[in-house]
Amino acid sequence: MGIVIAVISGKGGVGKTTTTANIGLGIAQNGKSCVVVDFDIGQRNLDMLLGLENRVVYDMVHVMDENISIKQALIKSKMSPNLSFLAASQTKDKSVLDSAKINKLISSLKEDFDFVILDAPAGIESGYEHTIEFADRAIIVVNPEVSSIRDSDRAIGILDSKSQKVKNGEDVEKYLIINRINPQMVQSGEMLNSEDILEILSIPLLGKIPEDKAIIDASNQGKPIVLNESSSAGQAYKRVSARLCNEKVDFVDVETFNRGFMQKIKEIFT
Amino acid sequence: MFPWFKKKSSAKTAKDRLTIAIMADRTNNTFPFIEDLKAEIIEVVKKYIDVKKVHIQKENHEGIEALSIDIELDKK
Repeated sequence: MGIVIAVISGKGGVGKTTTTANIGLGIAQNGKSCVVVDFDIGQRNLDMLLGLENRVVYDMVHVMDENISIKQALIKSKMSPNLSFLAASQTKDKSVLDSAKINKLISSLKEDFDFVILDAPAGIESGYEHTIEFADRAIIVVNPEVSSIRDSDRAIGILDSKSQKVKNGEDVEKYLIINRINPQMVQSGEMLNSEDILEILSIPLLGKIPEDKAIIDASNQGKPIVLNESSSAGQAYKRVSARLCNEKVDFVDVETFNRGFMQKIKEIFT
Repeated sequence: MFPWFKKKSSAKTAKDRLTIAIMADRTNNTFPFIEDLKAEIIEVVKKYIDVKKVHIQKENHEGIEALSIDIELDKK
């Protein structure tokens, strides 16, 4: 039986879909079977980041409403044989989502995959609630920035009151990914550091992802950054994926490790 | 090293503001069902006396959690 993980954030644009694509591929590269599902009904982004936009024929709503089998709708990634993708519907209103149908869909995905990763829509509306409803775990993606952190706390509050697991008296495990860390700014005290963010939100850390220009290039090409082993963000996602597969990987201090020589000189004088 | 060159750290300001804002958010959003509860209380009390508004707040007195419910009457 697979594990269902919802990737959530509250605020949009913090790197939720990028994170979903990278941990999905990262887990697959670790030898586990993984399906990533785009729950952002009405929009489509995950297919682009995975380079699969031209291969989408059927989407999630076809499977739930129109007797299309999951097998027909799933798209296998060429980047890893262990990774599959299920697209969001673009055409239909998100009110089509219905708890019983989603439960059925997720239950059958759980039978076939070790990991079922759901990319939640931004915001805390019904689409979001449906994404977290049947999740075993949640990954919360934040940027080191006040509005992202505040909104994520609201999303966590809803997760803790509306998920099926919580209603059954169990806990939904929560993990934090801090994305787009700018080490220079953290060091100069212009950006919140990870310890402060962890203290404010009080959920365990899954990984810190440094800001990396190579991310744009990766999404331009539809090749997640985790494939780029020389990029700092790619390495960070690789570590996160290994942790999700229960490997013990030490945390790397991305907030200080890439100080250049000039930066060190500057620091002596400030 | 030379503290007189140091800029005021805005990260510290961010942390302080966030801590307060999130604490307030958490108190205001403790129970997702609060609006439904208010509506139902109004329905029940209305059978006996006119109600204007219901205020519900979670309170914590020396470790004892309580819901404080204030019912504002409609004086006519």
